[in-house]
Amino acid sequence: MSAPGPSESGSTTRRGAAFADIRRRQQATRGRGRRTRSLFGMMRPYRGRIAILLVALLVATAASLAPAPLAAKAVDDGLSKGNLDHLTVLVAVLLGVSLVGLVATVVRDRLVGWLGARLLSDLRERIFRHLLQMPVSYHERQRAGVLVSRMTNDVDALQTMISSSLVTLISSVLMLLGSIVILISLDLKLALITFTTIPVLLLGSLAFRLASVDAFARTRETIGAITAHLQETLSGVRVIRSYGREQGHLDRFHELGDENRRANMKTVYLNAAYFPAVEYLSTAAIVIVLLVGGAEAIDGAVTIGVLIGFVTALDNFFGPITELSNVYTTFQSGMAALEKIGALLDQESTLTDPAHPRELPDPLRGELRFEHVTFGYGVPSRGGSASAGGTGASSSPIVLHDIDLTIPAGATVALVGSTGAGKSTLVKLAARFIDPSEGRVLLDGVDLRDLRQRELRSRMGIVPQEGFLFSGTVAENIAFGRDGATREDVERVVASLGAGDVLDQLPQGLDTEVGERGGSLSAGQRQLVAFARALIAGAPANGDGRLGGPSILLLDEATANVDLRTERRIEEALELLLSDRTAIVIAHRLSTIRSADLIAVVEHGRICEAGTHEELLVRGGAYAKLHEDWQRGTTDAPSAAAS
Amino acid sequence: MPTFRRLLGFLRPYRGTWVISFSLALLAMGVTVASPYLVGRGIDQIRAGDRGGLTFFAVAIALLGLGRLLLTIGRRLVAGRVSLGVEQDLRDRLYGHLQSLEMGFFDRWQTGQLMSRATVDLSAVRFFLGYGLVFIVQSLLTVVLAAIAMTIQQPLLALLALLPAPLIVFVGHAYGTRGRPAQQDAQQAVAELTAAAEESISGIRVVKAFAAEERRREAFEATVERAFGKQLRAVRIEAAFQPFVQFLPQISLAIVLLAGGRMVVDGDLTIGQFAAFYVYVLMLIQPLRSLGVMLGLGQRATASGMRLFEVLDREPTIVAPTDRPVRTLPADGGGAIRFEGVTLRYPGQTRPALEDVDLTIPAGERIAIVGETGSGKTALIQLLPRLYDPTAGRVLIDGVDVRDLDPTALRREIAIVDDDPFLFTASVAENLAYAAPGATREEIERAAERARAADFIAALPDGYETVVGERGLTLSGGQRQRLAIARALLAGPDREPGDPRPRGPRILILDDATSNVDATTEQAIAGGLDEVMAGRTTLVIAHRLSTVRLADRVVVLERGRVAAVGDHDELLARSQLYRDIVTYGMAGQVFLTRKQEPIEVTEA
Repeated sequence: MSAPGPSESGSTTRRGAAFADIRRRQQATRGRGRRTRSLFGMMRPYRGRIAILLVALLVATAASLAPAPLAAKAVDDGLSKGNLDHLTVLVAVLLGVSLVGLVATVVRDRLVGWLGARLLSDLRERIFRHLLQMPVSYHERQRAGVLVSRMTNDVDALQTMISSSLVTLISSVLMLLGSIVILISLDLKLALITFTTIPVLLLGSLAFRLASVDAFARTRETIGAITAHLQETLSGVRVIRSYGREQGHLDRFHELGDENRRANMKTVYLNAAYFPAVEYLSTAAIVIVLLVGGAEAIDGAVTIGVLIGFVTALDNFFGPITELSNVYTTFQSGMAALEKIGALLDQESTLTDPAHPRELPDPLRGELRFEHVTFGYGVPSRGGSASAGGTGASSSPIVLHDIDLTIPAGATVALVGSTGAGKSTLVKLAARFIDPSEGRVLLDGVDLRDLRQRELRSRMGIVPQEGFLFSGTVAENIAFGRDGATREDVERVVASLGAGDVLDQLPQGLDTEVGERGGSLSAGQRQLVAFARALIAGAPANGDGRLGGPSILLLDEATANVDLRTERRIEEALELLLSDRTAIVIAHRLSTIRSADLIAVVEHGRICEAGTHEELLVRGGAYAKLHEDWQRGTTDAPSAAAS
Repeated sequence: MPTFRRLLGFLRPYRGTWVISFSLALLAMGVTVASPYLVGRGIDQIRAGDRGGLTFFAVAIALLGLGRLLLTIGRRLVAGRVSLGVEQDLRDRLYGHLQSLEMGFFDRWQTGQLMSRATVDLSAVRFFLGYGLVFIVQSLLTVVLAAIAMTIQQPLLALLALLPAPLIVFVGHAYGTRGRPAQQDAQQAVAELTAAAEESISGIRVVKAFAAEERRREAFEATVERAFGKQLRAVRIEAAFQPFVQFLPQISLAIVLLAGGRMVVDGDLTIGQFAAFYVYVLMLIQPLRSLGVMLGLGQRATASGMRLFEVLDREPTIVAPTDRPVRTLPADGGGAIRFEGVTLRYPGQTRPALEDVDLTIPAGERIAIVGETGSGKTALIQLLPRLYDPTAGRVLIDGVDVRDLDPTALRREIAIVDDDPFLFTASVAENLAYAAPGATREEIERAAERARAADFIAALPDGYETVVGERGLTLSGGQRQRLAIARALLAGPDREPGDPRPRGPRILILDDATSNVDATTEQAIAGGLDEVMAGRTTLVIAHRLSTVRLADRVVVLERGRVAAVGDHDELLARSQLYRDIVTYGMAGQVFLTRKQEPIEVTEA
């Protein structure tokens, strides 16, 4: 029969699986040693403060342990003998100890708060520095929101862990050890009886931790699903409204909430079993101490004071155990955060500056040359590591094949072709946002990888398609183009671009706030600001009538700005911008393309033809066909030309 | 504290359970407080050498402890259920409210802001309502019950021991007035820091392009240090308050030692009672400490509650009429549209987006809308499904004011295809059936074919089951647009079985993509669109001539007003603005014409 009987081997494998499960859970509760060490590494600069903190912690804990032995003394030496003077002395001691404890606690809390805030500020700065030096290709694959949440939410979780859980952990352990010493010193036999509860406690705690690992992980997972759903709802709110599908989302959200609630309920069950049990154990200990110690006291083997002291001290013994289990939860989420932050910081930048950088000549001629350049995401580049710094596309990772292209100094090359053909990859290579997988990119004969990125880019002006602006004024955004650009520089650049009249129309002229992402400017105005920002890069105008500005310009032309008021200005400014310097333009406007010195048609990662507008038209290839299509598109409009 | 009281309102549905939980806590605390008394009595039996008495009290303590064990377990289970229930109610309520709010709300509120309210603030509130409040109640019970127990045993000593208690109230108040603003200050500084980081990371390409890493780093570090300074101030205030609260019981302890000791010597107090007092005061330390922490949590929860109510108190403005009967669209209407003197002013904007627009679109007509950026094209189409309501004038569909309709019913009749369509993280099939969850697989595939999406869907790794969207497979703009068209085709009210009319909305709105679809696909879609547009009114925001040519008439908008209406030839002859748009606004980009569109199969 095929019914699986409970065979010997079956039960052993099942048992084996159970053990493996326990082992897995156990590993999940500890481990992460490397991360913890890195946390300690971050604390190293503050050794002095930490030392003081530990002393304060020790003193504060010791002070809080004092009442029990003092009670024992008071009963035995004071009350039982009617010695009031002795009692007064003890009261003075108690007050003195308490005052010392007060001071120590203040010092402790201040230092802990300081340390928590300091470490987290350091960590934020470190993450930010790290993100800044990660290559553009990395950022293209990561959502900004996720990265920022590492710097905020995860860092916050870590702060809670450091400033509350860590202190609780240390002081609880100290308290536990202190109580053990006090219990032993009060009465060895009673102490040993009390300690019989320790194995029970340890086993119980272990079981609790093992059981909760999965429950906690599950709650975090389900809450993550809720957050993701919420995020998506907010991003897609227009679609939801348009189709009136609110109810469906409400139902789904409630379902996710139910899952989270179920997962949470499991932790409630676990806590409801564990904490009251520990509490009961402490009661049991008191009962035993009373019975055993009481009998001894009646026999005169133990003084009544010791017994009272003992009962009082028991609280300090069991209290920390509950506390330790309590901090366990915050510790878990803190460690999870540490893990995520650590994983982020472990990502190494694949685009680094050379150890011995070469200098660019000054003035730069500006000849750009692609030599047998092949690029693919995930394809190893020189140096052996993946060039994209992330997982590559699963199919056809090669974006550019064996590109050979020379852009003479001062010339403008227009790149034309479909989306995904590889135009923007070429531009990214020129700015060294990415490194070629094979071949090299040369500027005036120098391999870009032999230059410092800062040196290279300070000679370049880059106009991205979306014209990203930072919040601040128009002038600030233009000055962004070059470190140390003055107001005069900004005004000169605006004037030389002929953008003055457009930008002056803004409510506060150059001092107008551009709003988040430049939202309070029109698309055309944003474009002009981006032009000015690119033009201010590089050397300032040197007074010989030349415009100055960057030697190299990389421009991704905006596709659609139906902004007639600025349209002509943009065309004129573009012409000015392109004159007199080496430029690569991802071009969409015929006027731009026509005026280029060289047009390169990019298809499927290759340059399929190159030449001037006229040459290419004569050749009758891909470009000529594009042009023909376009002409049909504009003139096909019935009788547009006729009327 | 109106906010606080309103927060407590979330507990109302759980009143019964909460009372049970409270009673269990009360009983458990009563038992806890009885324990030191019994210990004291036990010690007195020892003094008296009465072994039998000692055993009696020891057994009593053990039994009471057992009782407490059961009570606490019960209390935890009940309270846990309440707290999780409240959490889910709170979340559902906020989410439901967000779903009821109009688009205008989402324009003014950044997604990040809403997210932080729905996560950080919500969790502060639920933590307080779920756990904090229980702790506070429990701590207060302990303090009160311990005080009562002490008073019963020795009123004078109890009075002396509790002498420092009023100080706690005073210190707590002082902390509330100084600590809270400092906390809020620090939270605000962290929010600024988040915004700064977000901006730099989003604009990383520009930062790198201008080699501005150092400058951005310096600016960011200055923000971090500012936040650090503010946090430090909050820490200092906290560090002055908390230790002091813990110090006060120590004074009580000294009083018990001094005065209680005297009473023992004088014979007014037994040693057992003295020990009990001592334990009672020690018992107060923990609750006082957690009271401080929990009150702090309460303050945070109140601040968070205020931020939540800011959202929750925003009444949805676009709802079905309540003061008059809800009307329905005539079943045989073909989607005739009329804008009557429509003005739309977005909140916070000085210039109206639409001004006094009069426009009549007969059923079944195809209208192209052209105009510069900001001329009001999007504003116009958003009025139809009531994503916004006009500030003045009215919008009629088949003769019915859209404000007299139930918004959900209205929106079933209208389908919008955006220029940058949003897909949910779900399978292709689910995304297509988004507007019509009951659509059959056949209907889905048919819609995909009509939108010319069937071929590329077949090429996806799992076909119609491929998960797309933010956390799924990344599709190209053109692909997403074709899916959105198919999705729109499946919209429309459910038909009775046997109804010959095909599924589909009465009105179709297309926001023409500027660069997403290549010429060949565009031709293909145009063929499909012809079929799709048949029998319904279509509005197209046109960015290219080829799209304009699909339309019967063109509406030219300029600064929120209708500048001209007519067909292409008429307008070319008549409108200078239209000629400008065609020449400068549309001509250049046609050169973008695409021939190839690789299927992007990038795993997100």
